[in-house]
Order: sequence, then C-alpha cells, then structure tokens
Amino acid sequence: MNLKGKILALTIVLINSLSVAAQKVTDKIIFTPQWTAHAQFAGYYVAQEKGFYKAAGLDVEIVHPSVSQTAMNRLQNRESHATTLQLCQAMELIDNGIPLVNILQTSMNNATVIVSRRNKDPLKQIGARVGMWHAGFGQIAICMSRKDHLNYKWIRFTSNMDLFLKGAIDATLAMSYNEYYQLLQMGFTFTDNNVYRFCDHGYNIQEDGVYMRRDYYDSHKNQARKFAQASRKGWEWAANHPEETLDIVMKYVRDNHITTNRTLQKLMLKEVLRLQVDRESKKREFRLRPDMVKFASQLMKENQLLKNDVTYKQLIAE
Amino acid sequence: MKNPIIYIRKSLSKRLSLIVVLIATIIFVAALGFLFVESRKAVRQEAISRATEVLDNTVLRVNSLLDRVVIATDNFEWLPVRHLETPDSILTYSARILQCNPDLNGCSISFEPDFFKSKGRYFSAYSYNNQGTIETEQEGNDQYEYFYMDWYQLAKLLDYPVWTEPFVDYNPEAVYTREVIASYCKPLRDYEGKYIGTISSDISLEWLSKMVSAVKPYPNSYSIMIGQGGTYFVHPDTTKLLNETIFTPTLEQPDSALSELGHAMQRGETGMRQLMFEGKDSYVFYKPLGSTGWSVAIVCPESDIFGGYNRLYNIVIAIVVVGLIVMLIVFGRIIHHELRPLNTLALQAETIASGQFNQALPDDKRIDEIGKLNHSFRNMQHSLVNYIDELKHTTAMQASIESELKVASDIQMGMIPRVFPPFPDRQDIDLYASMTPAKEVGGDLYDYFVQDERLYFCVGDVSGKGIPASMFMAITCNLFRMIAQQNRAPWEIATQMNAFLTRDNEQSMFVTMFIGMIDLRKGVLEFCNCGHNAPILDGKFLDIKDTNQPLGLWECKAFNGEVIEDIRDKQLLIYTDGLNEAENMQKERLGDERLLELMADTSNLSSQQIINKLKDAVAHHRAGAEPNDDLTLLCLSVKTL
Repeated sequence: MNLKGKILALTIVLINSLSVAAQKVTDKIIFTPQWTAHAQFAGYYVAQEKGFYKAAGLDVEIVHPSVSQTAMNRLQNRESHATTLQLCQAMELIDNGIPLVNILQTSMNNATVIVSRRNKDPLKQIGARVGMWHAGFGQIAICMSRKDHLNYKWIRFTSNMDLFLKGAIDATLAMSYNEYYQLLQMGFTFTDNNVYRFCDHGYNIQEDGVYMRRDYYDSHKNQARKFAQASRKGWEWAANHPEETLDIVMKYVRDNHITTNRTLQKLMLKEVLRLQVDRESKKREFRLRPDMVKFASQLMKENQLLKNDVTYKQLIAE
Repeated sequence: MKNPIIYIRKSLSKRLSLIVVLIATIIFVAALGFLFVESRKAVRQEAISRATEVLDNTVLRVNSLLDRVVIATDNFEWLPVRHLETPDSILTYSARILQCNPDLNGCSISFEPDFFKSKGRYFSAYSYNNQGTIETEQEGNDQYEYFYMDWYQLAKLLDYPVWTEPFVDYNPEAVYTREVIASYCKPLRDYEGKYIGTISSDISLEWLSKMVSAVKPYPNSYSIMIGQGGTYFVHPDTTKLLNETIFTPTLEQPDSALSELGHAMQRGETGMRQLMFEGKDSYVFYKPLGSTGWSVAIVCPESDIFGGYNRLYNIVIAIVVVGLIVMLIVFGRIIHHELRPLNTLALQAETIASGQFNQALPDDKRIDEIGKLNHSFRNMQHSLVNYIDELKHTTAMQASIESELKVASDIQMGMIPRVFPPFPDRQDIDLYASMTPAKEVGGDLYDYFVQDERLYFCVGDVSGKGIPASMFMAITCNLFRMIAQQNRAPWEIATQMNAFLTRDNEQSMFVTMFIGMIDLRKGVLEFCNCGHNAPILDGKFLDIKDTNQPLGLWECKAFNGEVIEDIRDKQLLIYTDGLNEAENMQKERLGDERLLELMADTSNLSSQQIINKLKDAVAHHRAGAEPNDDLTLLCLSVKTL
C-alpha cells in the first residue's frame, strides 16, 4: 500500500469511526408531544415508565414543548426526532416542503368541537368571533367556516378559556378530551344546541399521530419501527390499566408543573382512548386511513390551506 | 322476664310509672324541641351575622387594594397616549407607575403589532418589581407574541377595563415560579378613539391570599377565593390551587347544590348556602370582589357553628334521659310501696278464696282509697264468713230434708206395687204400670190387686205437688186398698173414699182418680171416673157418660159408675195428665192427638212395651226439658184364654 493508499485507508477508518460515533449520538430518540404533559400522551409516558422503549433497545427522551419551542419548531429544527402532530398539521408541513412520515397513527376520530357561549347553534352565528389555539389545530374548522360561508373571525388564544369565559369571544374551538372538560369544570353548561362536533357532521378526520422527518426516518427505519411498536404497546397497556396509567400521567403532570387535576386527566384519558377506536371496525387500529387522508387533502386544498394534494403515500412509511 | 308486655301488664306499679314517664317524656320532648329549634335559629342567625360581618370586612379590604390598582392605572393611562411619538419614554412611564404604587408588581404598556415602525413588530414596555428594584424591559418577540396573551386581548376585544383571571406568572425561559398574579387591563386609545394597545397592571395575590386565608370566624372554618372560571386561588388545600375549580367534584359525581353555589358565585351574587362542601355539612357565605368577577367565600362547618349548641343539646338530652330513667325507677318504687297493701290484700283475698275465710286482714290505719278498700274488704270478709256459716247451716238442713225426702220417696214407691209381671201365675192378665214423680215425691198413685177373680185397679192424681200431695197420695192409696178389698163396686169404693177424704180436709186437697174392676171370668169392666183423664181403650178415649167429682172436694152421697160388658183382648191405658200434658222447652204439650197416634196399632204390643213406648215419646217430646208433672201410666189387657 502506497502512501496514497494508506491515506485512503486511514480516511475510510476515520470516516467509519466518525460514522459509528455519530450513530451512537443519534441513537437517542428525542420525542416531543405537541403539547404540555397531559393524558393525551399517556401511551408514550407508559411506554417510557414501563420500560417498553428500553426493552425495544431504544433510548427515548420525552421533551415537552415550550412557548418558544413548539413541537413543530423542534421537528423542523431537528431538535426532536419524533413528535405527535395532527394529520392536518402534518399535511401543512409536507405542503410547505418538509417531508414527514407517519410512523404511528393513534387517533381514529376527530375531537374538535365548536362551543358557543350562548345557547345558540354555532353554525347560525355568521361572522362570530371564534377562539382558536395560537399553536394551530384549527384547519378543519377554517375549512368548514369557509365552505359554509360562516365567515368566522378567528381569535387566537394561547392557553386557556379566559377569553371565552369573560365573553370576549362568541365561541371557541375546543377538543372533546380537553377544553370541553375544562369548560365543564368552569361550570359551563352544555346543551344540545351550543356544541358542534365536527366528527358528527362529515368532518371525521383523524388527528394525533407520531411523525418523523422523512430523511431521519430513512436512516433510522428500524428504530422508528421499534419506537412505533413500543408506543403502541404503551397505548394498549394504558387502555387496559387506566388507573395505573393515570398515576404515571400525574407524575408527568407534577414534574412539568401543569395546572390540572386527576379528575380532568381521567376524563381526558377516557376520551382519548375512545377516540382511538375506529367507528366502523370498533377496534383500536393504529393506522392512517387513506380515505381520511384523501378527504382531508381535498378539503384543505379546496379551502386554500394546501397548495398541492398530500397523498396517503407521501405520509406512510413504505 | 320473658315477655316485657306481660310483665308490665302484670304490674300496676310498673304500668303507672311507665305512663308517668311517658307523659313526662312527651312534655320534655315538646318543650326541649321548641327550645332547641328556637335556639338553633338564634345560633344560626348569630353565625350568619358574624360570618357576614367578617366577609364584608375582608371584601372591603381586598376591594381597597383592587381599587388602588384601578386608580393607579387610570391615573397613568393618559401619559403613554400623549407621548406616542417617543416610544422609549413609554418605558419610563411603565416604571413610574410602579414607583408611585408599591402595591403593583408589574406594569406593561403594550401596543398593536407594527405600531411603532422604528420598533418593529413588537413593542411592550414592561416594568416589574424585582425584589425592591424596578426593572424595565421591552418585551415581545417571535417566541413571545404578547398580543395573543389573554391580558392583552381581553381589553382589546371587550373594549373596556377588565381584570384577568389570576394566573401563575409564567416565565418563557421555563423557570417556574408559583407566584399567582392578576392583571388589571385597560384598552389604550389614541385621540381619535382608535384602539392602539393595552395597559396592564399586575398585582401579586400573595398578600391578598394571606389576608383572605387568615379569615377564620370559627376554629375549623376556612376561606376560599375563586376566579370567574371557578378556579381556586385561595384554598387551605394548596394542591387545589389553580388545579381545581369549585365544580371539579361535580365532573364525576353530580352535585346540584355545589353547582348552584359555584354558579351563584360566578354570577357575582352575595349570599349564604347550606350544603355538603368538601365532605362536611357546611354553611358557605360568599360575596363577589368588586368588578373582578372573582368571589370570596367563608366555609363554616356546621359542627363549628353549632358545636356549642350541639354539646349543650347532647348534655341536656343525656340529663333528660338519665332523669327519665331515675324517674322511672323512683316512681316505680314509690308506687310499688304505695300499692303494697293492695298486693297484700290480693294475696289474702287469694287465701280467702281458697277457703280460709278466717284469714286475718292487716289492720291498716290509712284513710285513703286503699284504706277504704281494706275496710270494705274486711266488711266483705265478715259478711262472707257469716254468709258461709248460714250457707253451711242451710246446706246441712237441705241435706237433711233431701235425705228425708229420699226416705219419703222410697216409702211412697214402696206403697205401690212395682213387681212385674204382677201375677206371674196368671196368663190372662197382662198388666204393667209406671210412676215417675216430677220431684223427689209425687202426688200420683196407682194400685191393683186380684181378689176373687176380680182385678181391682186405680190411677190417681193428687192436687198440688211435693210432700203434701205425697202424704195425701199415701192416704188415698191405703184407703183404696182397704175399701176395695171389701169387694165393692168401683163407685161404692169412690163414695166411701170421698166420705173419708172430705172429712177434716182443711187443706181442701183432692185427688182425681179412675177406679176400675174387671171380672176376670167374664171380662166385664166396672169403673168410676172421679174427675180423671179419660182412659184409652182399644186405641180410643173411653166414652164416659157420668164423670164424677174428684175425691176429697166435698161430700157426695153416691158416685156414678159405668159398666163395659167385655173388654177382653183390648188394651186399656189409664194415665195421669203428666202424659198428655208433658211440656217441652217451648211449653208445648204432647197433646191428646199425639197420644192417640202413639196408641194406634199397639194391639200386638205388650203392656210393658206400650208403657216404654209412651215414656220414650214423652222423653223425646220434652227434649231435655225438666218434667212439669208426675207421670203415671197403667196399661192392662185381659186375654181370652
């Protein structure tokens, strides 16, 4: 071997060792739920606490988002390897040029509702001021508002229901597993008239799923698969052990200084688990439904939320 | 004491004492019940006044703090609006507010996006009190878009000043402080009235929380404060602070009373409600805090308010119960003691009733009802003893008389022939007779004898009953046999007997009699009926043409008689009125018709069978009724041989 050859061999060894080192660094999966610690992410906490990730040979760290570091930001900036996103959010990101892969779909139903402050059908309040999360999640509502010419004026709020409570807005978007119960806990009275559930009006589009950037996924397929399997196991365990799951959730809630209580988390867990059951098959399927993807893409494109169609194929792993 | 009811029923003293205690209980319950209800009302009213006063004072003090914040903000809001051309000066004004108002923790004067071209998209002048030093900084960046914050948007959207819900001061750099603050937010408008931003003054709720928490009108009472959303901002259980609302328990377990309380507090009402609050029966007094939408409440457990009252209540109830038990025992003893003579009397009465009539009764000196009863009982005992003595004497006498009567009866029965068949060696005479006195001795008689082929017989019935009649019967009986034995005709016998009986008959007694004589060779019947029932011959009443007077009534020179040529093979029945006039319970007589019916078709029966048949018929007719008269029957037939 001449010097050139030696240098080449040395370079190969160096590159290889650097690659191994890099591999070791990236072995850790940083997972970020799209919100602060709540029962909405119980399955992942269970997988972490019951050692499902570890048993799969994974080193998973759960990092919650902050105001300055949202889950989407963290994924975009490659600070997190996996994050939960709603289907519509994921499609928006893909449309914006960030290819993502859905490695696990947990939600099989849509949880978004509109709650009217007065005992008045939200659909009859054209031009009403309607609250929407500053962090997003309102794509379906925007589409519905445009499609039905409701012309809602969207007021973005940061974290709680105070604008709604004080009467600063006429209605608000809410999640059936979270804000809905928060409002109940605030003494708000729900009637048949003042709640509009998107899932019951032809907008039953799946929500939460776990996503990775496609490039990261391509280089970590095995890890991604194991992460998805362990997470799914976590959710299945949670469904079978709700009380112990709640204990785990409350530990995360306390560690993250979240203002909530066990009762709310219990109701949230129950509702989240309910939303995971497919209406047609009556099973917890953990899969993205092509029909829902197609419908969501079509709806969002028609209402100018997507420039191009995002297909089922673009979203799935293989 | 197997059965208490029987035990009580057996004891007058127990019963009386129970009744007294029962009445006393009713009176106590009514009186104490009224007393307790009224005193409970008074205690409740006192508690309401006390708690309301404490609550009013608390709210007044809190409101004065909140008012200072409002006034401070209102006094400074004109400054930034006047100096919009120099945005940096606004930083000074926000600090100035804090300098002038030590109650405030922070103040931000924030503007709409891109309001100041020179400052970019964000401009929020924020001053805060950092442990005594006032720090000022310009806030707002892509990570902290303040115009989406509630405190900013509330004033903007509502377009009037508003208090935010208390919230935990949230540090974007993930440094969590548990300090709860609230902001008074007011929209800022330019001179044209256009909304340009929000001025917001913050206060720490620490002082307020401490002051509200310290309100404790009762040892176990506590205060709570909730925001407009029902969230606890003051609560003795710190785990509930900010985490739970007043409605949280209703999420899993509907509680309309708690929900109504929460809604009333949310509506800013002032009032008091009694309900089960956090596991305790409590009175909750609530009042709103100015225009904040928040509400303060004092929770007073009922056990605290009514603690003294309940203690007193329990003591009084215990005293009353013990008193009633003592009363029951003492009254029982006293009544038992007072009624003891009655008991003694009862025992002695038992002894007397068992036959010991001379049992000595206690010599009680009492003059009350029991004394009177004792006295009466003694009198009764004396009377009883006397009566028993008389009774014994009378009984002995009666026994003697009965004994004598028995002897008389035996004698009387011995006077009439009672051996049947009477003439065993004569086949031609079938005769049977029976005499049954209604009492021990009777006034009926019969007799018969055969002399010189002549059968003499008679049946008689003396007027009256008993011993006089029996004696008259004895005389009559002897007289008949004595005279008849002189072979005289029946009417001659009757005439002689009458002559004898009427003599010295001061009692005017008489006897009806049928006297007959049959010539056994020819079958000729001679008879004399002296006022007696017509006999039955061959199933028919004997047609008697000459009926004579009864014997013994008055003198008669000659009795008439009749002759029937041949009565052989015919049944002749002679009887006294004890047969046809036998009465049953309904006083219905047997009657002649029935008698003839009985006598029909008897030609094949013997005299004894006929008489037995008649006696059975009489017994059947009486059906258990006592005999109303002596019954004498004589039946005979002379057979042709």
